[in-house]
Amino acid sequence: METLSNEKVTEDMIPPDITQPLPLTDDFVPGESNFIQVKDFKFFYGKKQALHGINLEIPSRKVTAFIGPSGCGKSTLLRNFNRMNELIPGVRHEGDITIHGTSIYDPSVEIIALRRRIGMVFQKSNPFPMSIYENIVYPLRIAGQKNRAVLDETVERCLRSAALWEEVKDRLHESALGLSGGQMQRLCIARAVASRPEILLMDEPCSALDPIATAKVEELIIELKKDFTILIVTHNMQQASRVSELTAFFYLGNLVEFDSTRKIFTNPSKKQTEEYITGRFG
Amino acid sequence: MSKNSAPVPQNFFTTGGKQTSPLRLLRNRLLTALCIVLSLLTLVPLLSIIILLLRNGLPLLGADLFTQLPPAPGQDGGGFGNAIVGTLVMVGIALIFSVPLGILSAVYINEYAPTSKLAAAVRFVAKLLTGIPSIICGVFAFAAVVMTTHQFSALAGGVALSILILPTILLTSEQALMGVAYAYREASFGVGATPFQTIWRIVLPEALPAMMTGVMLAVARASGETAPVLFTALFSYNWIHSLMEPTASLSVLIYNFASLPYSHHISMAWAASLVLVILVTIVNVSAQIIFRPRHR
Amino acid sequence: MHAEPARPHTLTTFTAALDQLRSTVLMISSLTRRNLQNSIKGLMERDDDWCNNSIADDEEIDLLEMQIDREGIEVMSRFQPVASDLREVISSIKIGANIERIADQAVNIARRARKLNEQPELAELHLLDELILHSMEMFDDAIRAFAERNGDLAKGIKPRDKELDQLNRNLTDTLVNRMQDDSTNLPGYLNLIFISRCLERIGDHSASIAEDVVFAVHAEDIRHLGKTAKE
Repeated sequence: METLSNEKVTEDMIPPDITQPLPLTDDFVPGESNFIQVKDFKFFYGKKQALHGINLEIPSRKVTAFIGPSGCGKSTLLRNFNRMNELIPGVRHEGDITIHGTSIYDPSVEIIALRRRIGMVFQKSNPFPMSIYENIVYPLRIAGQKNRAVLDETVERCLRSAALWEEVKDRLHESALGLSGGQMQRLCIARAVASRPEILLMDEPCSALDPIATAKVEELIIELKKDFTILIVTHNMQQASRVSELTAFFYLGNLVEFDSTRKIFTNPSKKQTEEYITGRFG
Repeated sequence: MSKNSAPVPQNFFTTGGKQTSPLRLLRNRLLTALCIVLSLLTLVPLLSIIILLLRNGLPLLGADLFTQLPPAPGQDGGGFGNAIVGTLVMVGIALIFSVPLGILSAVYINEYAPTSKLAAAVRFVAKLLTGIPSIICGVFAFAAVVMTTHQFSALAGGVALSILILPTILLTSEQALMGVAYAYREASFGVGATPFQTIWRIVLPEALPAMMTGVMLAVARASGETAPVLFTALFSYNWIHSLMEPTASLSVLIYNFASLPYSHHISMAWAASLVLVILVTIVNVSAQIIFRPRHR
Repeated sequence: MHAEPARPHTLTTFTAALDQLRSTVLMISSLTRRNLQNSIKGLMERDDDWCNNSIADDEEIDLLEMQIDREGIEVMSRFQPVASDLREVISSIKIGANIERIADQAVNIARRARKLNEQPELAELHLLDELILHSMEMFDDAIRAFAERNGDLAKGIKPRDKELDQLNRNLTDTLVNRMQDDSTNLPGYLNLIFISRCLERIGDHSASIAEDVVFAVHAEDIRHLGKTAKE
C-alpha cells in the first residue's frame, strides 16, 4: 500500500562523497561473465504475471540489448535491476537478481545506494525543470555534496562523457528544457553517469529521437561501454544489432533466446526469435 | 503538370451543393451568433459589479479610509483601517493553519500513500467540506474557540476561515501535485533520491505555481466571507491590539454598514467593497507574478 | 528450417521483394540450363545453329545477373533483412554470379563445338558423355536444392565435385595419349580437353551454389572446410 514510505530511508544511509567510485567487491574482475545474474525470476503486477521464471547471466562492460514485442516483459525486467518497479503499488516478485554475487533484494541492500550504482535513462528524456548545471549535479546534491569545485568538475566530466560539453558549455546555467530532444536525452545520460554508476539501464532511449540524434546517442552508448555495463531495451532491431554485443529476446514474459547479437541476427536458434526479428510477427 | 497526368475530376472541391444547403448555412450562422451573444452576456454581471463598485465606492476612496477608524453611527468622516488590518490578520491566521496542513496532507495522499484507506478518507472528507455552507464553519468555530475561550476573537475568526479554505487548498494542492509529470519523480528516484528529496527538490517546486493558484482562490474566498467571521470575530470600532479580542473585518463592516440607515455609512460600505476587490486583485496578480513557473 | 518459412512477413512488400528476387534467380537458372543444353546439343549433333543460339542468348543471362544484384541491393536497403532473410539475399546474389559463370562456360563449350564441327567427327567425342551427364546433374541438383531450400541435397553435391575432377583428369590423360599417337587430330583433341575443362568448371560452380544454399538454409559455412582443418 504505502509504496514509498516503506523504504525507510534515513539521511545517514547516504555516503557523503559519491564522486568517487563505490568500493568494489573483492571478487570483482573487469569483464566478469556473470556480473548480473537473474535466477528464476518471476514478477507480478497484482494478479497478472509479467515474467515467468527468467534465467539470465549478463557480463560486465558489454552492451546487452533486450528485444521483443510490446508487453513481452523486457522493460519490466529492466526496471527490476534498480528496483524501480517497486514504485508501482501491488507488485511482487519471486526468484532473485544478483549483482557482483549480491542479491539486490538482500535486506542489507540500501535501495538508494543501489539506484546510484545503477543509472537509468528513460524512454522520454526527462530533465528536471532546472538549469543544465543543476540537472547534472542533482545526484550529488541529494547525496549532500556541496563542494563547488567537485560539482564543477562533475558537470564537465559528465557532459564530456555524454558528448554534450562542446554544445552547452556556454549556457550551463540556462534551462535544460531549452535543449533539443537529442540533447535532452544526452543530458539525461550525463545525469545518469554523474553518480558514477557501474550499470546503465536504458529504456528505449532513442524512441523519441530523429535519426541524427539517435546516431549520436548510439555512438555515445558504444563509447560508454568502456566504463559501464549497459542494458538497453529497444524496439528498433537495427539499433540492437548496431550497438549491442549480446541480445536477449523476450516473448510473453519468457526469455526465448539469449546469445551474441551476431548469432541472433544471422542465425537465431529459436523459430520465434527468427520470426520476430525478420518481421513475421510482433 | 505533365501531359499524361490524370485529369482533375470535376467538382473535386465542391459537394454539388449537398453539404451547403441554405438551411444548413442558416443554422450554422444562428448557432455562432448565439454563442457570441451568450458569452457577451456573461460579461454583463461582472462588468456591472465593477462599474457599480467604482461609481459608488470611488467618491469616498482616499487615504483617510486606510488610516482612520470607523465613525460611530450617524457621524461623518472616518475610515476602516482597522477592518483592513483585521481582514489581513484573520486571513493570515487562516493561511498559517490551512496552507501547511493542506499542502502536507496533499503530499501525503498523493505522494506517499495514494491508494491507502486514509488517503481515500481524507479525499472524501475534503470533497464533502468544500460543499459545506460557510455559516457552519462559523458555528463550529464559535463552539470550539469562542465558547472555550469565552471571547470573540480574531483567532476564532481565523480558525473559522481556515476550516473554510482547508479543503480548497488540499484539493487544489493535490491537483497541482498530480499535474507534475511522473517522469520527474522517476528521474529523481532513478538517481537514488529519497522520497523526501524527490518531493522537496523536484515535485513541490514544480507544483508550486498551481498550488499558489489554489491558495489565492482560498484567500479571495476567505477575505470575502462574512458568515464565519460574523459569529466569531464579531466587529470592533477600534484598532486590533491582540488576537484575543473582537476584531473588525471588511466583510462584516460591509454587512453592518450597509444595513445602517445613514447614507455616509452606506457609501463607506461601497468603498469597503471596492477596497476588498482591489486587495484581492493585488494579492492575486502579485502571487501570479512571484510564482510564475521557472525555466520555461 | 527446412521447408518454406512458416509465415509471410507482416510487411507484404517485403515478402513480395524476396519472392521477386527468388524468381529472378530461378529464371536465370532455367535460361542457363537451356543455353548449356543448346551448347551440348550443338556439340553432340554437330549443329552450329544450337551453338550460335547459346552464344547469342548469353547476353540475356548477363542482364539477369545484374538484375539479381539490383534486386538484392534493393531488398537490403529498403527492408534491412536479418537472419534467414539476410542469408537468402546474400546467397541469391552469390548464386547469381555463379550461374552467370556457368553460362559463360556454356558459351566456351559452344565456341569449341563450332571448331570441332569444322573437322570430321572424332570418335573420342563420346568420351565426354559421362562428364556431361555428371556436371549437368550437379547443376540441376544445386538449382533444385535452392528452389526447394533443401540443405541436405545441397550438402551432398560437394563430394560429387571430386568425382567430376577425377573424370576430367582421366579424360585429359587419355586424350594426351591419343595426341601422341595421332598428331593429325591434335587441334580436335585439344578442343575436347578444353570442353572437358569447361564441364569441370561447371561442376565447381555448381558446388559453390550448393555451398551458398547450405549457408542460406542452415547458416553453415562449409567452404574450405578440408583446407582450414589441415592448417
